[in-house]
Order: sequence, then structure tokens, then C-alpha cells
Amino acid sequence: MNAPVPAFSTDASAGTSVVRVTTAAPCARLSLRARGELGPLEAALGLDLPRRIGARAEVGETEVLCLGPDEWMLRGPEAVAPTIRAACDEVYKTHPMSLVDVSGREVTFVIEGTSAAELLTLGCPRDIDRLAVGEGRRTVFDGATVVLWRDATDRFRMDVWHSFAPHVFDLLATGCRELAAEAA
Amino acid sequence: MLLIHCPYCDETLPEAEFTYAGQAHVVRAQDPSSQDDGQWEDFLFMRENARGPHYERWRHFHGCGRFFNAVRDTVSDKFLTTYKAGDARPDLSSLLEGQE
Amino acid sequence: MSQYRVSGRGRVDTGKPVSFTFDGKRYTGAAGDTVASALLAHGVHLMGRSFKYHRPRGPVAAGSEEPNALIGTRRGPGRFEPNTRATVQELREGLEATSQNKYPSLKWDIGAVNDAAYMLFSAGFYYKTFMWPKNFWHKVYEPFIRAAAGLGVAPCEEDPDHYASRYLHCDVLIVGAGPSGLAAARAAAVDGLKVVLVDENAEAGGTLLSEPQATIDGQPAWDWLASELEALKAAGVKIMTRTTAIGYYHQNMIGLCERLTDHLTDVPADTPRERMWRVRAGQVVLAQGALEKPLVFHGNDRPGVMLAGSAQTFLNRYGVLVGKRPVVLTSHDSAWYAAFDLADAGAKVQAIVDLRDHVHVDLLTEAQRRGITAKLGYTASATSGRLRVSSIRVNPVKGGDVGTAERIECDAVLMSGGWTPSLHLFSHTKGTLAWDDDLTTFLPGKTPEDCVIAGASRGPWGIAAALNDGAEKGAAVAAALGKSASGKTFAVEADRTGSGITVKELPTDRSPGKAKAFVDYQNDVTAKDLRLAVREGMRSIEHVKRYTTNGMATDQGKMSNINGLNIASDALGKAQPKVGLTTFRPPYTPTSFGAFAGYHRGEHFEVTRKTQIDSWAEENGAVFEPVGQWRRAWYFPQAGEDMDAAVGRECRAVRETLGMFDASTLGKIEVVGPDAVEFMNRMYTNPWTKLALGRCRYGLLCGDDGYIRDDGVIGRLGQDLFHVTTTTGGAARVMNMMEDYLQTEWPDLNVWLTSTTEQWSTIALNGPNAAKLLAPLVEGIELTDEAFPHMSCLECTVAGMPARLFRVSFTGEIGFEVNVPAPMGRKLWEKLWEAGQQYGITAYGTETMHVLRAEKGYIIVGQDTDGTVTPYDAGMGWAVGKSKPDFVGKRGMARPDLVAEGRKQLVGLLTEDRSKLEEGAQIVFDADQPVPMKMVGHVTSAYHSDAVGQPIALALVEGGQGRMGETVHIPMPDRTIAATITSTVFVDPENTRLKI
Repeated sequence: MNAPVPAFSTDASAGTSVVRVTTAAPCARLSLRARGELGPLEAALGLDLPRRIGARAEVGETEVLCLGPDEWMLRGPEAVAPTIRAACDEVYKTHPMSLVDVSGREVTFVIEGTSAAELLTLGCPRDIDRLAVGEGRRTVFDGATVVLWRDATDRFRMDVWHSFAPHVFDLLATGCRELAAEAA
Repeated sequence: MLLIHCPYCDETLPEAEFTYAGQAHVVRAQDPSSQDDGQWEDFLFMRENARGPHYERWRHFHGCGRFFNAVRDTVSDKFLTTYKAGDARPDLSSLLEGQE
Repeated sequence: MSQYRVSGRGRVDTGKPVSFTFDGKRYTGAAGDTVASALLAHGVHLMGRSFKYHRPRGPVAAGSEEPNALIGTRRGPGRFEPNTRATVQELREGLEATSQNKYPSLKWDIGAVNDAAYMLFSAGFYYKTFMWPKNFWHKVYEPFIRAAAGLGVAPCEEDPDHYASRYLHCDVLIVGAGPSGLAAARAAAVDGLKVVLVDENAEAGGTLLSEPQATIDGQPAWDWLASELEALKAAGVKIMTRTTAIGYYHQNMIGLCERLTDHLTDVPADTPRERMWRVRAGQVVLAQGALEKPLVFHGNDRPGVMLAGSAQTFLNRYGVLVGKRPVVLTSHDSAWYAAFDLADAGAKVQAIVDLRDHVHVDLLTEAQRRGITAKLGYTASATSGRLRVSSIRVNPVKGGDVGTAERIECDAVLMSGGWTPSLHLFSHTKGTLAWDDDLTTFLPGKTPEDCVIAGASRGPWGIAAALNDGAEKGAAVAAALGKSASGKTFAVEADRTGSGITVKELPTDRSPGKAKAFVDYQNDVTAKDLRLAVREGMRSIEHVKRYTTNGMATDQGKMSNINGLNIASDALGKAQPKVGLTTFRPPYTPTSFGAFAGYHRGEHFEVTRKTQIDSWAEENGAVFEPVGQWRRAWYFPQAGEDMDAAVGRECRAVRETLGMFDASTLGKIEVVGPDAVEFMNRMYTNPWTKLALGRCRYGLLCGDDGYIRDDGVIGRLGQDLFHVTTTTGGAARVMNMMEDYLQTEWPDLNVWLTSTTEQWSTIALNGPNAAKLLAPLVEGIELTDEAFPHMSCLECTVAGMPARLFRVSFTGEIGFEVNVPAPMGRKLWEKLWEAGQQYGITAYGTETMHVLRAEKGYIIVGQDTDGTVTPYDAGMGWAVGKSKPDFVGKRGMARPDLVAEGRKQLVGLLTEDRSKLEEGAQIVFDADQPVPMKMVGHVTSAYHSDAVGQPIALALVEGGQGRMGETVHIPMPDRTIAATITSTVFVDPENTRLKI
């Protein structure tokens, strides 16, 4: 247990011409849970909550990803958190929900480059090709639960709980080197 | 590694995203205090050991997080169907017909 | 050019010499050679010694099925691999290869005395020979077996190479890039289907590489192959060579092991040695061809005796003549062509000896044209030659009578007993096998997987048959995927179709009981062994296999299973399908541990979770321990301190002034919703309705069986908001259990759970000076007993950071737990550390935490409980809300066994000799009773305790709570320790120290 565990810092990055992994700047992340009539909540939030698991929506700088039948991840600039909180408080009495700030819980890796999808196959048993651009999923990467956002064919974001980040980053960095050697 | 259809996500996905959660349709009584010792013992401990189709629960742990039910053949390891928690137990004979 | 290299033949590049060593001697091969082909080019057949008898052996095959030519290969320190098949290992500059199973040298081997002691090692020798005398086992037999057993020598250094793994999803996976696989790939690569074609060899082509004489659609085979590979690439087919499909798992998941560097002279940086691919395919085409069967006769293992098809491969693919004066011995047409090819390359074929009385006239004509004598209706009864075959003894067979022998001088014997479809992977699918009487072999039957077999694997013979079948199957799988495709028909010339018969061990004029006619080369199993096993009562093929070890070597019986079955079924007097085949299991060929481990080794062996404060602990010399997946600071030794000294100092600091502890790993769950309190009432044993806002309570979680599952302090931060904490190791389990009840038992409850374990960094401050340190840093509340009493919680600001502040104590001292958003954890830690210097603040680890809590009698779930302990057993009946109508575990606690007298209950123990007990030690009431004693409990926790002045322990003891003050005994190997049963609370039972 005293073996040095790979170093990791919040500005860690790795990569080559084929794929790069960088750590995204901190942002607001809010876990929203609600069910039943969602209209009033959507009205208060000023955004539509996508109903299909994996679907995303966007309003201004706030993004929403549906993670479960009654679960959404909201993310945006840190400043939006109080606004969202206030909107939820407003309708809580009549339309109860759970809004939990998890901004501090996770870190986001941005994975981009021509081999970005291939890099994910090192640890993700899902068929990455079937994750459509503009969607997202919670899945598993090398034993750690992660949320994948596919922003473009060759660009993903991966949300990982902090404590798993060193382990996950270590494999991503190894993969970057491996893929670069493969391309060479 | 099996492929499992999550009835909530409506996707067929690798087993690594799921966790097994024991036999399905084991109902916890509304008022456990009304259960005699034998009934409570059955609820806690008595499980089928099916050779063939088995009603069981899975959780899409690294996914939508939902518990759901499945019928899996313990001999072939094939899933005959999966369905949402709370849905009625599907009719086995029609599932088996669909197989052949 | 080497003596046996034939110029103008083969696909090796003799213009690119490659130098290597074998047993220290330097040789030169050509680029494209394997170790086997390069050595054969120098006339070297002797490549190893056999497992049991240490008989000299050379390669019998040219591919991955090779049982004999196993070598060790080395590429610098740590890079040694035993049991590599010389027929698979590609040559690279500087390769160091060594033979195995020999001492002192391959040519003069002491172990070969085993060969003379042949009778000792017959079938079942493991079970017979070493039975008596009994005391010989440890001194003689076991050391002998250990020294003699095994093939190569296992490496003992750490493997410095990297191994990799990936997932791959495709529509069609085709295993085997011979003619049928190539044609299947071409047919299936339509309409955007993702097709992957894999082959274990260094290059695609399969049989085509060994049969350049054929023309396909007017093109010479090799030209056709080259253009076809280009066409496949253009069609988007992913072609992977040096990639073995090792196992076929559920629902079309196939494991592939890709070898990336073993063939390279210079290994590029960051390139893994091997990569395991976990492939999920919509449809699988198995086009693995067929394996040639050896013939079973006395001396069929002598170096120089090899499969005819392999000799053909060595010639046509590698440009090597395996002998200049070969004899061909066969029961199948295919070996005739090997004879012709070798003759055309300059070998003087001494004879074609065929077991059949008649063969097709064309073969005889071709033989005659080349001046080769054909001996039809002949058997072989022996070979001779010490380290290499020098002659073969053949006899005519007429009506079952074996006639007079004649001897034919030769330097190689090329044998063929026909061909066995390669159905290993198909068998992994639980596919059924169907016996074919005409081919005398098993053919594929039904499989539950979406899988089809193409080419020689299902019986058809010849290149045209393979191509056409492949095309048809490729189109069929595309159609199964909803695409319209059609397989083309190929025109093949100079195809070598043919047939043959299957034989058991060859008839002989000598005593069959003395014949060393090998069936399984690698495990040295002879035909006689198989018959002996049947005579000794083995009836099932599974028993015969285990008794004789036939097919149990690393080649998994690729060559021996069918011959073994034919002989065993003959001995049993039953037809082959009635006897059945043993099970093939993954992996198809030996696979390195590295490939299975992939990235999961060293630092990346498993997930190691670290808190935000972990880096501070590391910088400050912490010793870590694993707790679940987490690594936690165990203690912080200072210079010269051992663990006891460090823990003692840390404990004193907390009791006397101030300690700080990273509690971030505690599980945290946010319970939110109008039914939050109802949910808490149903989940935990305690009542929650009356818990006021801003207050917290120790919660106990049981299973429905009534046993303790978890515990933790829970704060009410809002009418509908609870901040639940769990044990470190239990966090995920508790969350799962809560979700289970919520989703499936109480879906009507309007409440949601969110894991916030990692949202917060949690720092525990404990000690008489805890409030003094914290007070100036906290905004919005006075840290007094009145304003913020013990068991309070509050959202506030600490050191300028948004915080959830809890006043709780797991040590018995004034205690606080400060939760700040995780990324701020280290900053807060450093601020508190700095501010705490005036109080001599001390960082402590999990060991000190354990000691301090034990002194207060606080349990650790999983240490003081083991899944059979109720709240009452643990002395925590006070935490059970008896008036609640229901909660998880309420009914369980009323089960007869759980309310019975004499249950094991948690108590304290103080030893009379003031020694520290061992955790896990068993407890008895009467130390003088005869052995076996009645055990009445065990020690669950034991520590040195400065605060108590002697070691303390917690223990589960039968009826313990009614035995206060009684003496129990703990028998240890050297003595029996007496201890007094006490309360579990050793320090400050009145909790006076919790007051500010």
C-alpha cells in the first residue's frame, strides 16, 4: 500500500497528435432528481429536461444530460448553481425534487483527437460507436463509474469521481502513448 | 460476459455495467410483524435453485441505476426477457415459445 | 545458403539474414523464418526432450499445434519465456533460444534413463508408483516429481514488458484467414458492415501459403492472396495477424490475444508486448481449417518424423527441405502431394508408403513420373536412429496379416493420418459435435451462438471447396445481419482435393505391448497406455484422459485427441460417438499471464482511491493501509518511531490536546424529499421523526435478518434533508441497499438518494483544544455547549469555505467534523494544521482512530460485528426504535434464534497479565477442559492503551453481558491467557470529556 500511486493533479494532461487528455476547469454540477409532472420544474428552470436516457439539452451555458428515468446531471459555469437552486426551491413545495450540488465530487477529462474513441476502448466495454454525438451515458471505465459526454466524433468529456481520477487518468495516459506508438 | 437489455435505457449492454441482485419476486410483506417465523424464514432465506428459466433481479449499476427483473436460463445463460421492477411476472410458456 | 534451404522457394527473404542462437550456438536464418524453420534449414531437427521419458524430439508440425519443439526464448533480463513453440516464434536478430528438459545437454541427457525405465511410467503411474512405502513420499517421490515435472523453467524476475487490452465491437468476426476466411470476409464486407478478420500466423493466407501451385480465378495463389488482402483493406475489413482467438465466450464474445513485439528486433517505446482484445461480434465465422493427424507406430516421435503437410509448409512457405531422403507414410492423399513437392524441390523421396491398398491412379502416375516407389497396403512397424531418424521399417499387410519387414534408409518420415477439423472454439460455445462415419471424425453440430463454421472445419477438402464455402458463409452472416450479399464462386486450378482413411495404431509384426507408439507427444502417452487404462477399468473417455494424461498437455490434445479416441473406442469395443470426446477449454493456445492481466499490474493492479488530503499524508511520511478500494493514512511515524510508538504518541495528542484526521472516505448520502424522514424511519433502527433540525444522531442499519450491516452519524440539515454518513467500506453497499428498498419495496416514497461521499472532504478534529482551534475560523455560530452542543450540525463557513460542520466524536474527546467541497480539502487541512500548531496539533491515522474508539467501546462494523451480530448483541438496544411499526430488521430481530439465551455478546476484556490479546483469538470458559475445548467467543479488537494503562480488548462472548467480572481464558500456542470481562467502555463512561 505504500507503493507510490501514480501522481495526479487537477491540471493533469497527457497526449500526442492522435489523442489528448486534459482536465477541464471546475464547473457547477448539480444532480437533479424528479418525477411525475415535470412541466412546472422545467418552467422554473427555463429548460427542457430530456426524457430519454442519454439525451442532452442545452440552454445558454447550462447543459443537461438525462442519466436515469428520474435523474439528470446539470452542468454549467459555477455562477449558475445559485440560480438553479433558487428555481428549484421555488417549486419544491408543489413539485418536490432533489437537487444536490456535486460540483466538488468529480473531475472532467476532455478526450479529443482522431483516436479519442479508440482510447476509450481500453477501459469501456460499451460500443463507443453507438454513443451518438450530442448524447451522453453513465458507464464504466476500467472499474470506475464515469459519465461520458460525446461532443463530436473525436471529442468526449469523461466525468470521474475524484478518488478514481488518478487511476483513470493513469490508464488514459498509458493509452495516449500506446496509440501514438501505433500511429507512428 | 453476457449482454443484458436494460428495460429503462432500452439498450443491450455489456454485463460489466450491471450487478446481480438475487431472485426476483420475493415480496417483503407490507407488515412484517404479521409474519410468523416460518413465513419470515421463507422471505429471508428460501430461494429457488432453478435449472432453466430463473426470475432474477439485476441492477444497471454503472448506468441508469435502476433495479429491474429478468428471466434467464441458468443452463444456457441466455436472457429470455428483462422487464421493469414492479411489472408483472411474464408468462414463461410464451417466452419459451419465442425461443424456438 | 544453409544446407537445407531451397532457393526460389518459400516466402522468407534470404537476402535479409537474421542471426540467433540455439543452446548458445550461433545460427543464421532468413527474415520471415520461425526458429523451427531456421534450424531445419541447418538440418537441426533435435529441438527438445520429452516431458516424461526425456526422449529426443524435433518439430512434428509447422504451426501452433506443435507439441514437441518447445523452447525458452530470452531478450534480456526478465524477458525470458519458457515453452514457446519453435514453430510459432518468429526469428528476430539476436534471439536467444534454448532447449528444455535436458541435462547436461540436449544430446546427452541424464533424464533419458526414464526412457529405459519405461514400464514404470505407464498409464496411471502417478497413482501407482508413488503409493508406498509411505515415508518415501516426502523424501523421495515428491522431490523427484517436482524436479522432473513441468516443461520449461518458469521465469523468476518481474516481467518488464507492458501488456494491453481493448474492447472491440464488430458486426462480423472471422477467425482464420485461410481461403475460407478470406472468402467469407470478402462476402460479408458489404453495406458498411464492420468486419474483422484474425489469424494467428504472421501473415494471412493459411493453406494458400503452403500451396503456391494453385491458381485462383486465373491468378497464381500468392498473387491472388496479395490482391485479395488489398481488396479487403479497401473494403474496410480490419485484418489482424499474429492474433489468436483464444476463447469463445457467451453471446459472441471472443478473446483475442495479439502478439505485437516478440517478432521485432527493435521494440518501439510504448508498444505493449501483447494485447488482449475482448471482441463482441454480431456474427462469428470460424474458419480454422483442419489439423493433420499423426500416425501411431513404434518410433513415431523420432526427430525427423513429422507431419507431411507440415513438411510441405516448411518447403513452400519457408523454403526449407526437412530432409533430402524422406519417406512418406500415409493413409490420406494429401501426403502424396507433399512427396511431389519435396521431390520437385530436389529431395530424393525414398518411397510413399500408403496403408491403403488402392489410391487414385493419378497419384500413382505422378509418383511414377518422379521416379518415386509407391508401396500400397503397407504399414510401418518401427523407426531407428539415435537423435534423428535414419531408417523406417515397413511391412506389407494382407488381409490383416503383417508380412515380412523391410528397412528403408531415410533422413525424414513424413506422415499423415488424415485431417481433423479444428473445432476447439466451436466447442467453447457448447456447440454439439456430430460424428461423421465417412470422415471418421467429429463435425460441428448445433451451437447456441450466432456462429457458423466455414471451410475445412466442417469437412470440405481442397482450396476451391474452402473458398466457395467461405463465400457462402460470409454471405449468410451478412444476410443474418439484414444485408443482402451473395458469395461468388471461385475457379481454382491445380487444387489438391483428396481423401483418406482413418486408422488406429498401425498394425505391426512385433509385440504391441513393447511399442512406443506415441499418441500424445507432449505428455508422452502411448497407444499401449490407453489400452492399459481401458483394461484397468476406465470406461469414460474423461477417466481415460485423466488416468493417462492424454490430451492434458499445453497443446490440449490438438493432435492426440482423435487418435486417442479411436484407440480407446477400439479397446472399449464401442463406436466413437458412444465414447465421446473430452471437452476443449480456453485458451486455444497457451497464453501469457501478462495478456490476461493487461494493464492491471503494479500500481495499476486495481483501483486505488485517494482522498484530496492523501497527498499531504504522503508528503508527511504516512504509512498507508488499504480500506476497501481506498488507501488511508494508517499512522504518521516520526524519525525513529515504530508503529506502536507513533500510535501511542498520536493517541496521547488527541487525549491531551488536539489531533486531526482525514475522514473523507466516510460514505455520505444526501437523502432529500418530502418522505425523507419516513424513509429514514424505515431504513434505520433508530427513530428520526423527532430529530430536530441542526441535530444529529448515531444511526444503526440492519438487514431484514436483524443483523447489523452498517452505522454512522446522520444529521438533519433540513425538514426534508438528511446528511447520512456510512462506514468507509460500506458506502457503496449501503447506497445499493437503500436504492434497492426505495426502488423495489417503497417506490411510493417521494425521496431521492445522492452519493456525496466525494462531494466533501471531511476533516475530524478531536481533543480538548478542538473547539478552541475551530472557533475563530467558524462564521455564524459560537462553538459552545449551549449554541452548538454535542451531536449538532450546521451549514456555515469555515476558514472562508462553505462547510457542513458536525459536532461529533468517535474518540470520546471534544470532536468536530468539518466537511468542505472536496477540492478545498487540502487547503482547509493546511489551514487547520497551521492554526493548530499553537496546540501541538497532531495528524493521526486510522490505527489511532481505532484505538481511541475502542477505549470508548464504539464498534467498528465488520470488525466487532461479523454479520451475525444484532444491535442487542452489540449492547446497542438503545438505538432500536421499538415503537416504530416497521423498519428493516425489526421482524428479523424477533426471530427465535435472535432472542434466544446464550447469544454471543460484545464485552470488554482486560488480561490479568496485562498482555495484548490477538484479534481473532478464541475464548473458552474453562481452561482445564480436555481438547477440543468448547469455544465460546473470540476477540474482535485488541490494542495497547495508554489511557487505560494496559492493553484493552473487545470480544464477543456467549452471554457476555451477564458475565461482568467473570474470568475467561484465551488459549494461545505457548500459554493460556486469563482475562476479565468488563464493560466495553474503558475511558470516561460519563462522557464528561465531551463538554467544552
